Amino acid sequence: MVEHKFSATIRALRDGGVDFILVGGLAAVLSGAPVDTYDVDIVQSRERENVERLLAVLNSLDAIFRIQPERRLRPTASYVSGPGHLNLVTRYGPLDVLGTIADGLAYGDLLPHSREVDIGSGLMVRVLDLETLIKIKEHVGGDKDRLVLPILRRTLEEKKKLGQ
Amino acid sequence: MDEDIEAPLPDYSADGVDLSLIRWMLSLTPAERLEFAEDRANDILAIRALNGGT
Repeated sequence: MVEHKFSATIRALRDGGVDFILVGGLAAVLSGAPVDTYDVDIVQSRERENVERLLAVLNSLDAIFRIQPERRLRPTASYVSGPGHLNLVTRYGPLDVLGTIADGLAYGDLLPHSREVDIGSGLMVRVLDLETLIKIKEHVGGDKDRLVLPILRRTLEEKKKLGQ
Repeated sequence: MDEDIEAPLPDYSADGVDLSLIRWMLSLTPAERLEFAEDRANDILAIRALNGGT
């Protein structure tokens, strides 16, 4: 069993100079929502230089596609520069690299709806805000999204009460 | 005098969400939330592995 090390994954991406926004369950957790999550979901900048930096980090983490792991298929520049979703597993656990989310929202679209969060030892990570996360999950409307939406909405309400 | 007594905060929302858990999470720093999520994911996966991966 691969031990999940969310912070190590994030640190490797930051140390590698990768521009990305943390989205999904871990973004919800960092915003204070008590939800379970098992992977790191990121939307990456698809600028050529960033794709190169991201590929270097993925290689250093031994990233392969989660589907058919026995084939040990590695992501390539054409995958990482595209709008699709790459469901990978690294030595630190699952990592989803998402070129776009919802209806084609890319890194540049999400940037104004994100903020830098200190996740310890001065490590900063850009995280999608809870309001946008809720809107996206409402739009996507999958079973898993519908289950978690009440928790996200109530978390947002409690944060506003606390002035967070 | 009665109006001076603060009503306790409800533990659950009308749609059944545990508000006390949310308030507890919000009392943590982002670093502590991340550590909790990481530990919880590993604990659950370990339990699953002990039960044959189900």
